[in-house]
Amino acid sequence: MTFDISIKIGGEAGQGIQTVGNILTSVFQSAGLYTMAINDFESRVRGGHSFFQIRISDKPVNAPSHKIDILMALNQLTCKYHEKELTKDGIILSDARFFSEKDNIHFIPLTELSAKAGDKITSNTIAVGIILSLTGMPVRLLEDVLKFSFQKKGKDILEKNFKAAELGYDFASKFKYNLNLPADNFDNSRININGSKAIALGALASDCRFASFYPMSPATSVMKNLSAFSKDIPFIVEQAEDEIAAVNNIIGASFAGVRSITSTSGGGFCLMTEGLGLAAITETPVVIINAQRPGPATGLPTRTAQADLQFVIKSSQDDFPRFVFAPGSPEEAFKITQKAFYLSEKYQVPAIILTDQYLNDSLFTIEKGVLTIPENIKSFIIEDKELENPELYKRYKLTKNGISQRVLPCSGKAIVRVTGNEHDESGHISEDAENRNKMVNKRFVKMEGMIQEMSSPETFNKESDILMIGWGSSKYAIKEASDILIESGIDIGYIHFTDLWPFPFDMVTDLIKNKKLIMVEGNRSSQLGLLIMEQTGERFFETVLKYNGRPFYPNEICKQVKKILE
Amino acid sequence: MVTVKDYECSFENKWCSGCGNFGILSAMKESLAELEISPDNILLVSGIGQAGKTPHFMKCNMFHSLHGRALTIATGAKLANHNLNIIVNSGDGDCYGEGGNHFINAVRRNIDVTLLVHNNQIYGLTKGQASPTSDQGMKTNLQQNGVISEPFNPVSTALALGCGFVARGFSGNTTQLKKLIKEAVNYRGFSIIDILQPCVSFNKINTYSWYKSKVYDLEDENYSPDSLENAFKISRLWNEKIPTGIIYKEEKLSYTEKIKVLNRHALIENNYNPEKLKEVILNIA
Ligand SMILES: Cc1ncc(C[n+]2csc(CCOP(=O)(O)OP(=O)(O)O)c2C)c(N)n1
Ligand code: SF4
Ligand SMILES: [Mg+2]
Repeated sequence: MTFDISIKIGGEAGQGIQTVGNILTSVFQSAGLYTMAINDFESRVRGGHSFFQIRISDKPVNAPSHKIDILMALNQLTCKYHEKELTKDGIILSDARFFSEKDNIHFIPLTELSAKAGDKITSNTIAVGIILSLTGMPVRLLEDVLKFSFQKKGKDILEKNFKAAELGYDFASKFKYNLNLPADNFDNSRININGSKAIALGALASDCRFASFYPMSPATSVMKNLSAFSKDIPFIVEQAEDEIAAVNNIIGASFAGVRSITSTSGGGFCLMTEGLGLAAITETPVVIINAQRPGPATGLPTRTAQADLQFVIKSSQDDFPRFVFAPGSPEEAFKITQKAFYLSEKYQVPAIILTDQYLNDSLFTIEKGVLTIPENIKSFIIEDKELENPELYKRYKLTKNGISQRVLPCSGKAIVRVTGNEHDESGHISEDAENRNKMVNKRFVKMEGMIQEMSSPETFNKESDILMIGWGSSKYAIKEASDILIESGIDIGYIHFTDLWPFPFDMVTDLIKNKKLIMVEGNRSSQLGLLIMEQTGERFFETVLKYNGRPFYPNEICKQVKKILE
Repeated sequence: MVTVKDYECSFENKWCSGCGNFGILSAMKESLAELEISPDNILLVSGIGQAGKTPHFMKCNMFHSLHGRALTIATGAKLANHNLNIIVNSGDGDCYGEGGNHFINAVRRNIDVTLLVHNNQIYGLTKGQASPTSDQGMKTNLQQNGVISEPFNPVSTALALGCGFVARGFSGNTTQLKKLIKEAVNYRGFSIIDILQPCVSFNKINTYSWYKSKVYDLEDENYSPDSLENAFKISRLWNEKIPTGIIYKEEKLSYTEKIKVLNRHALIENNYNPEKLKEVILNIA
């Protein structure tokens, strides 16, 4: 890595910090650089303190850094909270109102310059211009991005923003400070994408056509993306009256034959658990996204957590098979969403995908080639003409692998009966004791096939005697931490789980035998550690746990691991 | 030709003998046969309760779902395939209690399904607790001092929400009920028939003869169901006389008719289109 810098823009909600951040990220990306950006905000629409932080490098970067090179402070709190994060040569850019005389603080007259540009609202673009100038980006790249962002708003607004960008750019060109990042590799084989969009694209690439949801951070963004696509393709996004309706809407749609998805967060998932059971006993495929945030109850609505693992694996009336996955990046989110749809339909069981605010809202640079669209979708739905005698069709016919032929209602002569009551093979209510055993076993025997579908966890330096273990979105923070630790002379490896249920215990037992294990998780009780304990009998873990609502930073993992190893 | 016999089903009926549900079941079979809808072309969606069991007792495609949630299942199914003929069987507790929010929103959406509420003013399956429509003062095992709240008025509520087809039936008058179901099924949009249904085991107040002595057919009074104002007035009548028949009817676009992508094909009828998806990906990149 020849350079690795970070820029933080902090201010109040409503000041347009995200807009500045998004535009900057796009410009760096279009200059052929790798970026990674996190979005930290409070549950309010105006005021408070929030920030957008971009990391930029000539090599892939996939976790936030704890060090800041340029801190743009649009409010005083930004200085107060983040000054200590500055690198030795780092600078603060600050608006006049709280300007102070320290050496590394530079005054940026946003109000004055925006007046010159002809409109107060251009101050965001001026801020962007200033930062691009200080990082050595050509102003032309910004113009392209502005065109893309403001085209719809009309020529006048676009012109004013061009002017603003130039004013900001020229103003900052007088500074001695300049990072002079290279902007010569205009490689457009990559894009910036967050986890939400990756899931939405994964759903489309699975031939999903229906989504129902009730708004809840940080899950809503998945639906927002799907809704944007629904202008071009036959896709319906329904805003339901509550999460109970949302999950039952998708059960109804899937029963009728359309692949369907919902997304929610912890509290909403609670309301969905009755429906989850209905999907299970009726053997109706559904895909549910649980974008985690800290709880319980409302918790920290706009922040991140990895604390619903035990809940989504166990939440149910009685007991039933399901799939649980947790992607660690947008690439994995795209692929795992497709896998979830495929397996949910193949086994006629619900599939749950755990993401979180950090993965959903953070921008990552990925290769476009990763987003491949399959030419065909394998369907497991049976048509009337494939049945020997449709009149004798039984929706829950007992089979060796537990999977019965799934025919759609009103698609032919076969009569399709499903019920949330225990039922016989034909789908009628049955209270017969023997039948009950048969049906529970029928549903459970699917686990034998399901577990074969699970991928073993990804490993890095697994030969090492010390292994960190994590799951889901913390993947690259832990990976980077292991790189740093290895560089500092500590031999350490890392196991990253995406496929969590059915738990691939065979593969895991071998991996962790006779190792020193350090669980790195975003919850208070090491939920994956507990699961591994339950499934493998392994009992000795050290832990690095974080539950303050903020994502993992590689350096803090390193620090804690070093302390454990002392 | 479809006949009532086509709807026969050998599955054992589990209702008490004399239950008002039998009248509803036979009116359903007769009306579907007369509408020439065959069992393989009808989807019954139901909730939980005695009413919720209805689909088991006739030959048909069915989704017997959860307590209160039948309308949400029906909504999803209809959005996925609006060619489906869907009738929802629900109870007064199921629909107006546990599923109250879904009822409100199903009416607002105007999804093209027919809702039959088997309104026995009691929780039948769970053995006789008060329901949202139980009369004030009614004593039950669980409401020993009598029901305190005022009863929920489904007809007024449906009207207030803008429902385009609101009717009341009586399970003791299957000739009228059959006619109402036929009209409701033919109506494009959300149609509700609140059906007075005696529960012989648990409701000893609103009995068959109690209803019989109060109901009258609006048609006999030359009532015309096109005035919302009159409909509201009619919807308030209960203590002396109970009006039955179509109370309000108005043509309007149903939910799926208002969704552009559904104008040409049902959602399920589209083909997977990888070329289009590749374009979508190009556009975001
Ligand atoms: C979530 C949930 N809560 C409660 C029940 C228990 N339960 C089953 S049916 C019912 C009430 C039935 O009354 P109604 O809907 O009026 O139907 P009826 O039996 O009178 O036809 C109740 C409370 C349940 N099955 N599920
Ligand atoms: S309990 Fe009442 S509603 Fe239920 S079957 Fe018996 S009579 Fe009918
Ligand atoms: Mg009832």
